[in-house]
Amino acid sequence: MENKNPLSPHIQVYRWHISSLVSISHRITGIINIAIITLVCLWVSLLLLGETKYEIINSLLNSVIGKFIILSVTWSFSFQVLSEIRHLIMDFGYGFELKTSKITGLIVIFGSIILTVSFYLIGKNFI
Amino acid sequence: MINATKKWIFLKISGAILVPLMLWFIINLIGIYDKEYTDVLNFFSNSTSKFLFSLFIINSYFFSALSISEVFEDYVGNDKIKNVANKLLYASAVVIPLITIILISKL
Repeated sequence: MENKNPLSPHIQVYRWHISSLVSISHRITGIINIAIITLVCLWVSLLLLGETKYEIINSLLNSVIGKFIILSVTWSFSFQVLSEIRHLIMDFGYGFELKTSKITGLIVIFGSIILTVSFYLIGKNFI
Repeated sequence: MINATKKWIFLKISGAILVPLMLWFIINLIGIYDKEYTDVLNFFSNSTSKFLFSLFIINSYFFSALSISEVFEDYVGNDKIKNVANKLLYASAVVIPLITIILISKL
């Protein structure tokens, strides 16, 4: 049977706003995060192969590329956490006014950068 | 209660649970990612870490499967493609965490 449900309008139709940027980024980071979690599952599973085999992945993670990957992962998770909190607040009926929506969107964007730095410092110094 | 409402409620509950688990995971990942084999092994051998990591991946895959199926609903018009994509998505959301949990239980 032919599905008559309308699809979402093409994203280029609308003028970009902070809220649309945060919304599409929330979906993109969600997909990236699950791909990252799949790689983490693989990384943890590699521990079973022993120390010698683990050295290959360890040298990659200790390189500049490895650090860049971890920083990017941290930002992606930070963004997802803040954006998810924003969504949950909106589900309770708050923050729909245009001005509030713009402010919370900006908090998510800039807050994710601040959280990335904070998480990195906490992880490196306290774990 | 219709299925779409149940799905929305599950999505919101898993989203709320995911926030603290994600914070725990990312801070610990930064702390251990560049450590030696024995340090990483010790971390994942710890029963608290095993439990929280298992909970984290189960919840993440559950949340992602529900979220990504919404993306399919919004952007995929062909029902056959959508059904196959959803089946693959739900299967991977069960298989990947299950295999990982079995493997980390052996650590």
